[in-house]
Amino acid sequence: MLELRPILSALMRSKVSLVLIGLQIALTLAIVCNSLFIISERAALMNRPSGINETDTFTVGSIGFGADFDLRASIAEDLAMLRGLPGIADVAAINATPLSDGGWSQGISLDKDQKSPTAPTALYLTDEHGLNALGARIVAGRNFRPDEISGRTRQSLAWPPGLIMSRALADKLWPGQDPIGKSFYINVEQAPSTVIGIVDRLQAPWVHKQRVVELSTVVPQVVSDGSFVRYLLRAAPGQRDAMMKRVEARLAELNPGRIVRDAKSIEKLRADVYAEDRAMMIILGVVIASLLIITALGIVGMASFWVTQRTKQIGTRRALGATRGAILRHFLAENFVITSFGLVAGTLLAYGFNAWLIQNYETARMPWYYVPAGCVTLWLLGQIAVLGPARRASRVTPAMATRSV
Amino acid sequence: MWSLHKLRTAENETTTMFGYYLKLGLKSLRRNPVLTALMVFGIGLGIAASMTSFTVFYLMGGDPIPWKSDRLHAVQVDNWDANEAFDDKGRLPDQMTYIDAKALMTAAKADRQAAMFKVALPIQPASEMDGRDVKPYLEIGRATYADFFAMFEPPFQYGGPWNAEQDANSARVTVITQETNEKLFGGADSVGRTVRFNNVEYTVVGVLAHWQPRVKFYDVTNGPLTDAEAAYLPFTTAIDLRLDSTGNNDCWKNADPGWEGFLASECIWTQFWVQLDSREKLAAYKSFLDAYVTEQKKQGRFPRPVATLLPDVNQWLALQEVVSRDVEIQVGLAFAFLAVCLVNTVGLLLAKFMRKSGEIGLRRALGASRRQLFLQHLVEAAVVGISGGLVGLALTAAGLIGVRALYAEYQHIAELDWTMVAVALLLAVLSAMLAGLFPTWRACQVQPAAQLKTQ
Amino acid sequence: MLKMNHLSKVYRTHLIETHALRDFSIHVRDGEFVAVTGPSGSGKTTFLNIAGLLEQFSGGEYFLDGVDVRGMNDSARSRLRNEKIGFIFQGFNLIPDLNLFDNVDVPLRYRGFNAAERKRRIEDALARVGLSARTRHYPSELSGGQQQRVAIARALAGSPKILLADEPTGNLDTQMARGVMQLLEELHAEGATILMVTHDPELAARAQRNVHVIDGQVVDIHAEPRMRGLGVVAAQAAHG
Ligand SMILES: Nc1ncnc2c1ncn2[C@@H]1O[C@H](COP(=O)(O)OP(=O)(O)OP(=O)(O)O)[C@@H](O)[C@H]1O
Ligand SMILES: [Mg+2]
Repeated sequence: MLELRPILSALMRSKVSLVLIGLQIALTLAIVCNSLFIISERAALMNRPSGINETDTFTVGSIGFGADFDLRASIAEDLAMLRGLPGIADVAAINATPLSDGGWSQGISLDKDQKSPTAPTALYLTDEHGLNALGARIVAGRNFRPDEISGRTRQSLAWPPGLIMSRALADKLWPGQDPIGKSFYINVEQAPSTVIGIVDRLQAPWVHKQRVVELSTVVPQVVSDGSFVRYLLRAAPGQRDAMMKRVEARLAELNPGRIVRDAKSIEKLRADVYAEDRAMMIILGVVIASLLIITALGIVGMASFWVTQRTKQIGTRRALGATRGAILRHFLAENFVITSFGLVAGTLLAYGFNAWLIQNYETARMPWYYVPAGCVTLWLLGQIAVLGPARRASRVTPAMATRSV
Repeated sequence: MWSLHKLRTAENETTTMFGYYLKLGLKSLRRNPVLTALMVFGIGLGIAASMTSFTVFYLMGGDPIPWKSDRLHAVQVDNWDANEAFDDKGRLPDQMTYIDAKALMTAAKADRQAAMFKVALPIQPASEMDGRDVKPYLEIGRATYADFFAMFEPPFQYGGPWNAEQDANSARVTVITQETNEKLFGGADSVGRTVRFNNVEYTVVGVLAHWQPRVKFYDVTNGPLTDAEAAYLPFTTAIDLRLDSTGNNDCWKNADPGWEGFLASECIWTQFWVQLDSREKLAAYKSFLDAYVTEQKKQGRFPRPVATLLPDVNQWLALQEVVSRDVEIQVGLAFAFLAVCLVNTVGLLLAKFMRKSGEIGLRRALGASRRQLFLQHLVEAAVVGISGGLVGLALTAAGLIGVRALYAEYQHIAELDWTMVAVALLLAVLSAMLAGLFPTWRACQVQPAAQLKTQ
Repeated sequence: MLKMNHLSKVYRTHLIETHALRDFSIHVRDGEFVAVTGPSGSGKTTFLNIAGLLEQFSGGEYFLDGVDVRGMNDSARSRLRNEKIGFIFQGFNLIPDLNLFDNVDVPLRYRGFNAAERKRRIEDALARVGLSARTRHYPSELSGGQQQRVAIARALAGSPKILLADEPTGNLDTQMARGVMQLLEELHAEGATILMVTHDPELAARAQRNVHVIDGQVVDIHAEPRMRGLGVVAAQAAHG
């Protein structure tokens, strides 16, 4: 038996309390919905696959001493040793890896004379082992042959004739067409290259650059000037951590005239590159939890007060025939009404807040179901919070009608 | 005499009344310990949330070198592609080509100037050094000019910067940090001794005392919160030794092959800062820079319209959006959160004071003035506020520990500073008073008669 | 209508036991108007509370309208209270947040009447007490006498079998007290059973029968068959 009308008119007599709790609930709804939405967006961002095997792979860098360090020889020697190492499934020299947030990018043009490039692309320079070491899947065309691999130095201007690219890049350059054999320019002043293979998916190193994140090109070249090289290794399943230590030690042993930089798993790279997103998710999670707690405690406090304040009134109702259940329901219904007021205002506020975020932070529009879901949550929260005080109210004895002062 | 006496009684009355109000307030708070705890905890949590995020915001966006930030200017010129601006937002390039850096250094039109870039520095400790065996390790160094030290004023522990002559001669000299000196020389005065970076011997001319600007404002290209470099060497020396920049290298046009081709290219990879000690000098430098770009344009460079910029440190931090969007959103959220906590407290205080309306009516009937009752309840609210502030401060400290755990690079940022402590306390008391104001006002509206009529 | 045999009520607080009622026996017949008198603290309110099922008793028996109420659970007691009993309190006990209409509506809601029935009853009851014009007023906008009339309207809106009134005129001046008393007498004339606690000997004298309570026991019962004897009134005054 919901006595909504009398509850409403009674509430209207204490507008300030109503406004305060309503305001609190409204703000809570707005913040909770938007925070949850941001959390879900970040989660979606973090859940995008990189297209490579992340569990077994790791990288290790080597930087040789002196301007006369022989990088080419060092790479050949290192690779020979690493490829013979049991527990290593494959290894390649590579200039950058997905999830590392550092690498090379260039513009791709389809026409020699076009003014600005058609699409940007990340460049992965590696040998014929590169894609296998990464665990990227070739879905069309073929991998590089050993004889296609060359060295790249500051002197190099031209790009090799046959390149592999991610499917997303091919789709962007030639929508709806078979990309194999198509030609394009990385440097319009040089001869064009053609597509010889397509990998299903290969993220660029910069996961937060929406424009380029799925667009990458694999080049059959190994950087061979300077003194720095990065190796990408894939360990046999389950052996990654052991192999990271072994590889570091063996490389240092093989050539002491250099620094071997700490081996890092791709999983660690992923954790680092998304650290801010994760932190944001955690902070927002804490905000949501604290807000719900504060709001619930606020409701408890307020309702407790009302119960104490209305002891005589409750006793009178009991004397007039209200059962315990009726008193309980009265307080639950009252809370429901108050919460509903707050939620109406909160709905407007939530969409307003979202609009503000869209305008200032280029976030997406919040899907419609967030606000209704938030409303249901707050209704439940309100009912649970008021349950304690309401039960206390229901235990007020009818004798309070005559005994209370 | 008479007025003095009166004054003294008034003063006396105020203090004794204050004590009385305080007593009443504490008593009233003790009467509902759960509710009081709720209010204090509510304010505390709100203060903690807003203070934690605001501290990060304040320290990140704050002036890292307040005593001269208006005299230090980044130099920006637009050498970019005719068809496309440097970035989506249409900003000028954040770095400079080697050619321009070299030309501006040679012109030396500013009070002080320094071009700079980041280099990878394999450090090779001598194996016999002090009998300790330190393995070679990789550090990041900064190649720059002697003026760097005069401009950004890092404190020296031993020695000092190198000189202009050493800049001109590509001397093999270095200034190392306290941390590096600790590793290599066990913290001894190492001025005059040699260190080995990447198979080249350098003479130590100075050792810095600990120096960690809150944000590394002079080079934010790889994030504003990276550590300061471990060693400094002359820019000219780095070029002579063909050390690559390990920061961002951005090109819009293919470079000619080889090292010389790279140096002559339109790729940007150096930062350039000047110190200009007056407005006149700033204006003069600006026209010099415009003239320089116009002159270069005639020689076929700078295809875009002439655009130069000399932002000072704070303008530069704003321009480079050093305070991340996440932090801005967090600050906004935190203040909304504080608002919720305040509304919560107002509600609870209101409930509390309204419940006392009987007592208030009685006090009014017994002759208390509205002003006296107002003071009495404001004191009660202030007590809640101060307690909330203290709780909030403790929670803020905990929150900052949490932030440091979440963001590895916030170590220097997420520190409670004393201004923030004061702000937190003030905010708490003010918000509680504010929260108490309305309920108090309402409570004091009670007509003495109203209560005596019915329940 | 109401029958109590050897009823006792003990209040236990941590320090002392108070025997508010002991060996308390009374029989109120249908249609009787009983005035309960006695010194302060003698147990009158306790008696009324137990009679109205607001409180449990410690020992003895109590039949309300032939029903043994001992051991009845709370909701059954609530229902019985709602259907059979109308309360008029000394302090009026109106709900300040509700207007007159809604105040009278309270017991009817718990009764489960439909909206039309409730409206009819509320309007009738308020008309009865002469407050039809003020249904939208709030209690704080009424005088004490008017408030008590609303409380009476609320008590009789559910057409209870028995009206319990605890010093219904205690907070009113003589003039107003007379008005309220007149209303009770009218109700009694229409057949209502009324149990009224009062300190006012003049009012007590207007009842059909007086029950005197001292120290938790019924000590004196005057059955007054519709006659006003001044001598009795004087005797009551001496006791009060
Ligand atoms: N809840 C209680 N706990 C303990 N003792 C109680 C309680 N209620 C009443 N009493 C005691 O029971 C006794 C009877 O109280 P009761 O209220 O019935 O008196 P009364 O006759 O109505 O007096 P008055 O005329 O002053 O209203 C008193 O001594 C009182 O102190
Ligand atoms: Mg009594």
